[in-house]
Amino acid sequence: MNRKILIAFLSLAIPTFGADSQWVLQQSTLTYHVSHPLHQTDGLSHAAKGKGVCHAGQCEFLIAVPVKSFDSGDSNRDLHMLQVTRGAEFPIVMVRTRLPESAAASATINADLEIQFAGQTVQYKQVPLQLETQGGEAHITGTIPATLADFRIDPPSLLTMPVKNEIPVRVDMTWHLQ
Amino acid sequence: MLRNVWWSCVPGLLAVSLFGTWSPSLIAQTSGKGALTGRVTDASGGAVANATVTATNVETGQTQSATTGPNGTYKLDVAPGNYRVQFEAAGFKTLEIPSVTASGTETAVLDEKLEVEEPSTGKPTPAQQENLPNAPSSSATAPSLEDLGLSPEQTRGNPQEQALLDKRTHMLKIHQRMGLITTIPLIVTVATSLNAGGKSTSTASRDLHTALGGLTGDLYFMTAYYAIRAPRVPGTETRGPIRFHKVMAWIHGPGMIATPILGIMAFDQKNKGERVHGIARAHGPVAIVTAGAFGAALLSVSVKF
Repeated sequence: MNRKILIAFLSLAIPTFGADSQWVLQQSTLTYHVSHPLHQTDGLSHAAKGKGVCHAGQCEFLIAVPVKSFDSGDSNRDLHMLQVTRGAEFPIVMVRTRLPESAAASATINADLEIQFAGQTVQYKQVPLQLETQGGEAHITGTIPATLADFRIDPPSLLTMPVKNEIPVRVDMTWHLQ
Repeated sequence: MLRNVWWSCVPGLLAVSLFGTWSPSLIAQTSGKGALTGRVTDASGGAVANATVTATNVETGQTQSATTGPNGTYKLDVAPGNYRVQFEAAGFKTLEIPSVTASGTETAVLDEKLEVEEPSTGKPTPAQQENLPNAPSSSATAPSLEDLGLSPEQTRGNPQEQALLDKRTHMLKIHQRMGLITTIPLIVTVATSLNAGGKSTSTASRDLHTALGGLTGDLYFMTAYYAIRAPRVPGTETRGPIRFHKVMAWIHGPGMIATPILGIMAFDQKNKGERVHGIARAHGPVAIVTAGAFGAALLSVSVKF
């Protein structure tokens, strides 16, 4: 009798759990761009970790990147960026977004991104991201129009000349459906 | 670094010696270590990470702070006493608890809820979810940092390291500005050398060159001081153009010592009416190499090649 109840319960439960799915960030390149009258610098990180949990047609995504993982090719500049962005106090950049599961079928997603960085939480609305899906993989590219002022970061300067306020962050990620 | 640690210990040592000498009964009362602990949450009960919790001793004015972890918890080890506790987090209103007593025997628990701060104008805005079609939510399905395999050690802030970075940047900024200022008398010194070392030179030209050289040397060593004394960040490997900048210092550093010594020798010989001879003849070439290395060091961090 108990076995029958258990089988009946499992047969109901399995389709329910099966409806949920997860996306895992497989590989990524995040690149910030800094403009200075004498320099154009890009800082790269491949250390982002991310997960998306889908339930009832909605997917919640979280991407986290250690601030220290960004490499601009110069250790002095990286330490300076770490200092101005208060990377030791707030070591992780976090990006959250919620997307409908149906977005996986689109070529462009307009995502509302909530970014926690340098002790500030800022929301970027309707950021266009390009999406290519193939099998269980999704390749997402796009640029987040971040600025230093958004995160209350004083622009670092070189030879008394400050860098530009705009620090666009280029995103290139491959997600795997589990 | 050690000196900083020593100075930071001085108030504590003084306090210990004063209490030890004058008030043994107080030591008996306060030998236990108090603690303030708790969890900081938002209105929905979600954890507020990276919130700063500052406890100020009402009697002594001493402050101590901690940052909440990813699950919103914090712990402050404090001496027994009466404290004013402040909670600050980005995007939330600051909350202040005017009086909390920490005893030596029990841990005071302060679980606090923070209210969302009113949004500022302009775009983008601090997180506000209700008006957005696909805004992030804090539902139960939302992944957490733990889900990503990040340990609390990786996500916890380190105010000491931040203070070290702040000091480093401050000193290197002065180093950079002093270096730029030094460039001016350096160029003028090199330019005036043309009138100081030739056959038909005057004492006035040599004096001017010597004075400018002295000024350059003083400014140079002040510049070098701020680079040498800037704190090192442990575990950092030197990469990129800064490496070349540092290598150049091994040329212009000794050069800045050798150049004035050779210059004084040459100056004496010229003043005696002699031709510059012996090792003093190296003054010019050494100065040129030194100035060249200094310029290359400056360019290496200024212009991208």
